[in-house]
Amino acid sequence: MKTRRMLAATLLSVAGLLLTACGSGSGGDGGDGPVTLTFQSLSDQPAAIAATQKIVGDWNKAHPDVQVKVVQAGWDGVYDKLITQFNAGTAPDIVHYEAAGIAPFATDGYLADLTQYLPEQKRADIPKGVLDSVTVDGKVIAAPTELQSYVVFANKTQLQQAGVTIPAGATMSWDQLRDIAKATTKDGKFGLGWGLSSPTAAFVALAPGFGGKYFEGTGDKANVTVGQGEQALPQLVDAMAHQDHSILPVTLTQSGTKALAPFYAGQVAMTVQGSYQAANIAKDAPKGFDWVVLPPLAGSAGPAQAANPQTLSVNKDSGHVKEAAEFVDFFTSTDNLAAINEADALIPPTTSARQALTAKLGGKNGWNEILASGQYLTSAPYLFAGKYAQWKDTVATPAYQQFLGQKIDAAGLAKQLEDGWKSVSK
Amino acid sequence: MRSLVRPAQYVALALYILFLGFPLLWLISASVKSSGELNSLTVSLLPTEWHWDNYTEALEKQGLVRSAANSLIVALASTALSVVIAVPASYVLARLKGKVRAAGVGWILVSQVFPVVLIILPLYLILRTLGLADNLAGLTLVHTTYMLPFALWMLQGYVAAIPVELEEAGAVDGASRLTVLRTIVFPLLAPGVAATAMFSFVSSWNEFFFALVLLQSPENYTLPITLNMFVGGEGKVALGPLAAGAVLAAIPSIVFFSILRRKLTSGLMAGAVKG
Repeated sequence: MKTRRMLAATLLSVAGLLLTACGSGSGGDGGDGPVTLTFQSLSDQPAAIAATQKIVGDWNKAHPDVQVKVVQAGWDGVYDKLITQFNAGTAPDIVHYEAAGIAPFATDGYLADLTQYLPEQKRADIPKGVLDSVTVDGKVIAAPTELQSYVVFANKTQLQQAGVTIPAGATMSWDQLRDIAKATTKDGKFGLGWGLSSPTAAFVALAPGFGGKYFEGTGDKANVTVGQGEQALPQLVDAMAHQDHSILPVTLTQSGTKALAPFYAGQVAMTVQGSYQAANIAKDAPKGFDWVVLPPLAGSAGPAQAANPQTLSVNKDSGHVKEAAEFVDFFTSTDNLAAINEADALIPPTTSARQALTAKLGGKNGWNEILASGQYLTSAPYLFAGKYAQWKDTVATPAYQQFLGQKIDAAGLAKQLEDGWKSVSK
Repeated sequence: MRSLVRPAQYVALALYILFLGFPLLWLISASVKSSGELNSLTVSLLPTEWHWDNYTEALEKQGLVRSAANSLIVALASTALSVVIAVPASYVLARLKGKVRAAGVGWILVSQVFPVVLIILPLYLILRTLGLADNLAGLTLVHTTYMLPFALWMLQGYVAAIPVELEEAGAVDGASRLTVLRTIVFPLLAPGVAATAMFSFVSSWNEFFFALVLLQSPENYTLPITLNMFVGGEGKVALGPLAAGAVLAAIPSIVFFSILRRKLTSGLMAGAVKG
């Protein structure tokens, strides 16, 4: 009897709560009242969320007629969420995403052209390569907000003990990295740890340094070509791992973050990581751990890396495109970009914000080298290849893993990458 | 020799429980470790320094408590709806013969082969038309619809295992159809209902994709959506707070299982029918 009463009470409570829930829903504009814009933000770090809220708060205070409401969302699954939102006509007014992910929505006509809303001065402040990464069919479809590059973190003590002079030039070559890795590989320790469990992103992003492009054409017409420029880096990693034995083998099967543990433990003298890891190293490294960021890596074609910036776009069907674009312009002011990138430990896409951050942070935690690497970021064709994500996950990553595991040779790798693209892009 | 059998059985059981429970122990351990310790090569179940801040951060981040309440509402409601619909439907499926049963079974099997990505957009449009997109009632309906086929499949197996002779014996003694169902079938079906309720609850509690796409407002987010926000862009993961959040998220499931565990008694029908 008691159980039955409990069950009935539970069911009634649930029904009541559901009815309450039915009554709640997201509101829209209030007719004659102020315009309310929804801003779907993917900021995930507490400091970045706070910085975003501050920027939005500043805007709302200065623009009582155009209020912005932040809707927090997560990175995982956001592509599926946006597809549904755009198709159903419920997409937010302002969309936070990344260049590689947002380009297909621009191609499908969901995004407003921001060219006329972003002042000439602002566009001139963004390096051409970065601006190209958010330009589709001649239209600026997003404002870049944050960037990351691949940099080398080094254990200063281990390098000095191996008699290595720490590179201090504007850039350093991959051959220099290989030499330092060889010199610091001794006594059971390795020169380099590189988390390459998902190697495609790193290899494709770093290929421009060797003149590699991977893709020709855009959208459904893109084609993959794997030549010397594309093969250079995988072959270098292969040589370091299997000829020099200067890469800790287990790290090749780990994520970037996992590869930090042997770096902290002194098992590897250097590690290649996304630049944002500087903040984690500063927080998590053991006390007394003396580390530096080495100068940007340059291949045979220079220090270029592919830029895949985080972006802010405006929904073309927003109804308040002008106001939303003005908010994007406000969000990407020098001070705001400096604040949000400092909070996220990422690189501002505008020259003025990078300079502001350099002036503020100076040589602290490798910021000088990290911010310097930002000037070499450039657009890459993969951002505009329609089936890149599918090719990356189902073709390229397994192929690179087989290559690094010496299951296939360079010719086999090229064949798998090219044939695999033809297969997924049918 | 015989005296060693029982201790050996207990040792095997203890090892099995340890094997099953180890991931949970590891999760709890990760939830009280600092970021530095989690990213070191030192492997230890006990943290070198207890780091309770992960729980503070997990609770403060994005309204974990509110999301847990939302998840609980949706999971309890969809479980209740699934069970209420599945019990009579499964009885019909198990006892009836002919085309209705074949159509029902066919529907159950066909519904299991549709990938959710195929149905999510039309589903979203329908729910929006009904004013049920972006609210918990809509999500409850979706969860119920999604779980119902499997719940039916599970329960009809339990119903089929109840001998028809028991119902016939009740009828011979003068009991009406409803009395037979109430006093004979439903009590014997209790373990099946408990198992189905557990399955439904856990499925709804953990469901991610529908909630991700259907819920737009942060105040309506369920727990998997909020926990997902601990995984950031560029591969960043707040592992300690994520583990703390996951530990907290596991508590309602454990409580729900503890309540229903006693209902999962089997062997009630042993000897009920002598052939």
